Amino acid sequence: MKAAIQTDKLSKWYGNILGLSEVSLEVRPGITGLLGPNGAGKSTLMKILTGQLRPSLGRALIWGEKIWNNFRLFNRIGYCPEHDSFYEQTTGWQFLTGLLRLFPFSPAEAAGRAERALATVELLSDKDRLIRGYSRGMRQRLKVAQALAHDPDLLILDEPLNGLDPLGKRRIIRLIKDLKNDNKTVLLSSHVLPEVEALTRDIILIHQGKILASGDIHELRDLIDSHPHIIALRCDRPRELAARLVREPFILKVQLGGQPDSLIVETDNRDRFFSLLPELVMDMGLAVDEITSPDDNLQAVFDYLVGK
Amino acid sequence: MSAAGRVYTFFFQLGQKSKRTKFFFILSLLPVLLAAFLRLQQALTLSRRNITGLFFYSNVVLPFYVQFLLLMLALFYGTSIVLEEVEGRTLPYLAARPLPRTSIILGKYGSSAALALAMIDVGLAASFLVLNAEQLGDLSLDLVLLRDMAVLDLGLLCYLALFAFLGALLKRAVLFGLLFCFGWENVLIYFPGLTQKLAIAHYLKSLIPQPPSSGFAFLRFNLEPSPPLTAVLVLLGLTAVFLGAACLTFSLKEYLFEN
Repeated sequence: MKAAIQTDKLSKWYGNILGLSEVSLEVRPGITGLLGPNGAGKSTLMKILTGQLRPSLGRALIWGEKIWNNFRLFNRIGYCPEHDSFYEQTTGWQFLTGLLRLFPFSPAEAAGRAERALATVELLSDKDRLIRGYSRGMRQRLKVAQALAHDPDLLILDEPLNGLDPLGKRRIIRLIKDLKNDNKTVLLSSHVLPEVEALTRDIILIHQGKILASGDIHELRDLIDSHPHIIALRCDRPRELAARLVREPFILKVQLGGQPDSLIVETDNRDRFFSLLPELVMDMGLAVDEITSPDDNLQAVFDYLVGK
Repeated sequence: MSAAGRVYTFFFQLGQKSKRTKFFFILSLLPVLLAAFLRLQQALTLSRRNITGLFFYSNVVLPFYVQFLLLMLALFYGTSIVLEEVEGRTLPYLAARPLPRTSIILGKYGSSAALALAMIDVGLAASFLVLNAEQLGDLSLDLVLLRDMAVLDLGLLCYLALFAFLGALLKRAVLFGLLFCFGWENVLIYFPGLTQKLAIAHYLKSLIPQPPSSGFAFLRFNLEPSPPLTAVLVLLGLTAVFLGAACLTFSLKEYLFEN
């Protein structure tokens, strides 16, 4: 599939401060998570992609078109800004219909779209309340609603789960996952790894303005050869399995877990381990209940890549 | 509807609800209260001085609008066209809509102008009517009111465009604006010769006849007026230049939010 977003050696400087450094990436339809700590350059990248900032060097394109002052692009782009800012004197309904009328939609169409968007984020019953009276979670959901109310093909969501309670997060995560099914392109940023992990496996790791890695979380993990992979198993005879595994040169450490049936294995060659394991299970007649890879999550990859 | 028209509609509705509009609306009615107080005093024959309605209008009401309210309205509405979006961090909602940047400036300028003009015109007309209630059939008096309203409107459009430009260009536009209003404009007007032509106020005051000399006249200055047509053309020209500069600045400048 053709990339919706392309950047090529994109750099942004704020005076002497580096915002982005030679960022080259492609974002294709589906959900892509832009992950990095605060100040990593996520918002700078998103502001360039939404035409708020100009690149200092390099280029950024959406559907092959330049972004800065290309207002027609925004018929197909939805943007959820990072800041908790609104026209506070309006109600949720006035805010949403007002912004929809800027597209332009007729009053009737704007009303219909606003109603659908508010229903999607479960704010319909609060639509006539002033925004200044909304809770943080409601405000966050309203920001998401304004980003998707015009049914854009590309959604750029800057920290969309920020400030939401667990239930609110679940709602938005479900909503964003549904967008993937509609063949939309979603680029979302977060500094909270489990949030991104809950949404997608396609990630871009950004730190100090540079892309550290991008791709599927498993592929990323495999790039890190010298970093041990941790695999947890639950089986009926963990001690016997441990004794067998320690003979292998690619097994760095075997540790009996907290539970009587659990075992934690550290290996520097995950592929060899996973090809060996079925043989051992067959030869030893083991009953394996569970294989998990607790290390195989975004936090581990991110911590490793940024040198923690 | 054009993009600027859509922006105008949105922000005109927003502007009606703003605290700023409520404050300035009340302020714009202050001369009406003063006028009503004067009339009440005269009716109760408490006043020893025989002040005519037209005299009070020319020496108190009109200077209040020309030298104070007009500038304040233009300053706060004009600079806020861009600054309120930046300081309130709502600019991304506009930047991520299919709107040319110039249309954002023009639409917001239009909505600010509509609100400010309404305040000026309503306040001025109400004051005039209260002060000259017995002479409403006098066509020459009605023409005075219409002329003054037109001059104030022209001045407001010009100052508003200037401050829209300053707001698009500078973070501390209000401070610079205050210095301009109460420094540059109020000082330069007293300079003789060509120097006073560097103030916008010069062209405004060229269109308003000087009030009769009096002990408490606020609007006495050594005006060497420009011809009326020249004054109108200069004000219109400045409005177009400042508005164009505001649009250009907003189209080219990146706005960063302070963390």
